[in-house]
Amino acid sequence: MSSDINVTVASFIDRLKRRQIYGSYQVSLETLQLLKRFVSAARWTNINDLISQLRALGSRLAKAQPTEFTCGNIIRRVLALIRDEVEEEMASTTVQNNAEPMISSMFSLLQKPVATPSQRSVEHPKADIRQVIIQGIKDLIDEIANIDDGIQQIAIDLIHDREILLTPTPDSKTVLKFLIKARERNNRNFTVLVSEGFPNNTHVAHQFAKKLAEHGIETTVIPDTAVFALMSRVGKVIIGAKTVFTNGGTISSTAGVSSVCECAREFKTPVFAVAGLYKLSPLYPFDIEKFVEVGGSQRVLPTMENDRVGNHNRLDTVNPIADYVPPENIDIYITNIGGFAPSFIYRVVWDNYKQQDVNLEAS
Amino acid sequence: MAGKKGKALKKSGGGGKKPEMVQDERLQAIVLTDSFETRFMPLTAVKPRCLLPLANVPLIEYTLEFLAKAGASEVYLVCASHADQVSAYIETSKWNMPWSPFRVSTIMSLESRSVGDAMRDLDNRGVITGDFILVSGDLVTNMEFDKALEFHRKKKAEDKDHIVTMCLSKASQFYRTRCHEPAAFILDKSNNRCLYYQDIPLASSKHKTSLAIDPELLEDVDEFTLRNDLIDCHVDICSPLVPAIFQENFDYQYLRRDFVKGVLTSDLLKKSIYAFITEEYAARVESWQTYDAISQDFIARWCYPMVLNTNLLDDQTYSYESEHIYKEKDVVLAQSCKIGKRTAIGSGSKIGEGTRIQNSVIGRNCYIGENIIIRDSFIWDNTVIGAKSLIEHSLVASGVKIGSNVILNDGCVIGFNVLVDDNMEIPMGTRLSETPVQKKASQFSDSGSYEDDDTAEQNESTKVISPAYELVGTDGVGYVYDSDRAEDDDDASVIDVVTNSLTYKFDDLYLSDDSISSTAGKRKKKRSMSTNSIYTDREGDDEEDDEEDEEDFAVEAIATVERAMENNHDLDTALLELNTLRMSINVSYHEVRSATVVALLRRVYHFIATQTLGAKDAVQKVFSQWGMMFQRQAFDQEEFVDLSNLLLEKVAVQGFEKPEFILFSALTCLYDLDILDEDAIYTWWDQVSQDEEYSQVKTLTAKWIEWLRTADEESSEEESEESESE
Repeated sequence: MSSDINVTVASFIDRLKRRQIYGSYQVSLETLQLLKRFVSAARWTNINDLISQLRALGSRLAKAQPTEFTCGNIIRRVLALIRDEVEEEMASTTVQNNAEPMISSMFSLLQKPVATPSQRSVEHPKADIRQVIIQGIKDLIDEIANIDDGIQQIAIDLIHDREILLTPTPDSKTVLKFLIKARERNNRNFTVLVSEGFPNNTHVAHQFAKKLAEHGIETTVIPDTAVFALMSRVGKVIIGAKTVFTNGGTISSTAGVSSVCECAREFKTPVFAVAGLYKLSPLYPFDIEKFVEVGGSQRVLPTMENDRVGNHNRLDTVNPIADYVPPENIDIYITNIGGFAPSFIYRVVWDNYKQQDVNLEAS
Repeated sequence: MAGKKGKALKKSGGGGKKPEMVQDERLQAIVLTDSFETRFMPLTAVKPRCLLPLANVPLIEYTLEFLAKAGASEVYLVCASHADQVSAYIETSKWNMPWSPFRVSTIMSLESRSVGDAMRDLDNRGVITGDFILVSGDLVTNMEFDKALEFHRKKKAEDKDHIVTMCLSKASQFYRTRCHEPAAFILDKSNNRCLYYQDIPLASSKHKTSLAIDPELLEDVDEFTLRNDLIDCHVDICSPLVPAIFQENFDYQYLRRDFVKGVLTSDLLKKSIYAFITEEYAARVESWQTYDAISQDFIARWCYPMVLNTNLLDDQTYSYESEHIYKEKDVVLAQSCKIGKRTAIGSGSKIGEGTRIQNSVIGRNCYIGENIIIRDSFIWDNTVIGAKSLIEHSLVASGVKIGSNVILNDGCVIGFNVLVDDNMEIPMGTRLSETPVQKKASQFSDSGSYEDDDTAEQNESTKVISPAYELVGTDGVGYVYDSDRAEDDDDASVIDVVTNSLTYKFDDLYLSDDSISSTAGKRKKKRSMSTNSIYTDREGDDEEDDEEDEEDFAVEAIATVERAMENNHDLDTALLELNTLRMSINVSYHEVRSATVVALLRRVYHFIATQTLGAKDAVQKVFSQWGMMFQRQAFDQEEFVDLSNLLLEKVAVQGFEKPEFILFSALTCLYDLDILDEDAIYTWWDQVSQDEEYSQVKTLTAKWIEWLRTADEESSEEESEESESE
């Protein structure tokens, strides 16, 4: 492995740690770019070698930013791609090898190793498989770049005329585009309520509402506390997901989404979660606390005002910046490949990932 | 459409680096790793301040992380004390790896004794090519530097005389991390140009102060604000002119007190300084109290996104749990131990049964026994704490062994590798170190190397500090470290104690004083109403300085005179030396006389004590030869009286066997030399003779004066007779 790529990886990790790369969309694209370079620079004698190198890289990236799951997801996708390729290869070579009598291969085990066709078969696809992987990565980049289009296609018909929608995740670009598209394409009149997401997303929420209003959508910004009161009039709740776990639960990027979904359940209001396929994670949320990131205290309490509180009875602040929504509070996931019930997510996950890559660390 | 968005995002996510590339300007950063202070003694005798761990991460890492985020491309670390340790650390750290975001190099500036020296050294080396960031190596901040840089560039485009942008963080007047070097800034309200800077006494000090502003400074200013609520975290964006200004003004020592104030008040320079005020978290670890406060803030995630579980060091594995508990891998917790809020525990540490830990930081590989209570404390790596101990609001440095049943009270600092025996109780605010730390009179840096101290100890016959067995037990190892100025009296030392110690006691005592805040508030109002009034009194500060100066002078002057006598210098040379000294420190003749008297008397004492000369001969010899010095130290009646008074006082203090005799001889000697005339002696005597004090000392003199008077009368009678007869 050249030192050049090592430098790239290490600086990528540093930037992840410093949050100079943030947001699942950006992280996923940058991870793919990194993988492209990694694979083209990597040297391996055996395809398993490459797989273990990628797994090591994946666990390093996951550790750099434990609450950013897209890195791991992307690497697992690429690993699955490689494994599929290997399987295909194996299938074709075993077909070839079947022609040879079993006995000769047994003999050759005991004899001095000679250049056998099987060795050549490993060598032969090596250049090939690199191309295949890189092509696969390019396809993934395309998929992620166009993910919103896919989601829009499916979701547009779900919005009715003169419906009231509520979104508690103003920082989701997918939700924004989806709403604007719905307005433009169908020329439907609908009202969007945007909850403020205090304290971390208030500014974002205001920007979000302004953009919607610019596109001719009737928009109302409501405080987080008014969600329950207004829920009875809301037709649909639309949330953006940051990560979707195998059980159908999701981590949303705004705190307070969980309580909104709880309210929606109380009023039997449907909750739609929009998520690109790359946000599906093969992990299971055993320890929710570990998955929810806690942000800075200064957002909760105005900065530097904790002066005279004293050391003995310091004021405590907790500011989670994400929220876990359990699967029972979500009605449907809208992904770029279709809408799925939360209980069905696991099937989609295993279509895209391999079981043996769930834990990247154990080798 | 989506692709376009992606591109836009990438640009913004790339951080502050890209704009730099466009402007073809490498952003340089200078880190002053030395604080040129001794507040972290005795720990800084062994390790430089910037390598002391805060929440298990060396302090310098926070600064470098900030610079990495700020997009610096070249970082220079200016090292003075313990330079070898700093550079060794940097060489092995991740910042020296090929993927480091900037190139880091160390500058050995071993002779530097102040920020000013370091800046001059920088100028000599010529490493600065453009605007640079100047920070100290103990900064903890999550400030978004891009904004500050943008501000700096904008102001620079507007005002070509702009040389420094100071980044200040908004806080309140009594914020805990502001407890050191508070200052008032006067800013132009329209553009945040700094008009005046004045350092003010601590909120906890008894001194009150006022600001004196030259009205000329306020010309052309429509509206200004006076702010006493800013944390000055010493993050400056400087133009290359700054080191040059330091070079020109070789007496500048401090960045703020000398440089900023000097630039702002100078008529010649015509340079301007702007202030960028951020609301993000920014503070410097300047003293034990700020260490305490910042550590707690850091643990409580005030500095997000810079938090412990981002694992600043590559080998760290912290994960976060609710209630601000951070644990690394391989922490062994006994089943019945309780880990309370705001606690961090490093890997490899073991916590025994029944132990309770709250609001504390535990380093790596610590062994903490059973039934221990640790509250609000800092335990560094590789420490062992025996069962049933109680540690409250203390700092235990690495390698310390504490026996069982030990009580550490509020504010203890246990230095590296100290051993504390079983069943000991360490009183509040004690500081212990493994080896005695010698204090040099003129020690401003974080102490020189340790070897120096050892040799100094051998050479000088200063008091030998004995191990503090009464504190650490008979099997313990440890010496008590007293603060440098512990012997000083009154307020100065109180301030020192307040800033120097970790204890709660003092801040409760002083910060609860509301009168300070009310006066400060009043002052602010007054200022904003009367823009043109001048306040010239700033006695508070001056007094303090003067006291120090006087003491310095006394020591120096006595040494000068003694040297002159010993080496038998020319009288004129000695006087010249004294005079230079007097002018440089700016003291009155009274101090000069006092010092000379003390020196002469010491000489006399020396002769008598070594039995080289008898009392009378000694006085005769010394005073007849050196008494002439007073001729140029006292000029009028009043001053002669003062001189005699001094003689009386000092003789009494010196502890001669026969003080009355010495005084008498000295006075006669001076009388014979025609330095003291009769009138002066009479006036003096009239003043002191009634005084009960020193009555024993005065006995002989009384007789002498009586004799003198009668002689005088006789002679005058004679004279009158003569004149009559004529």
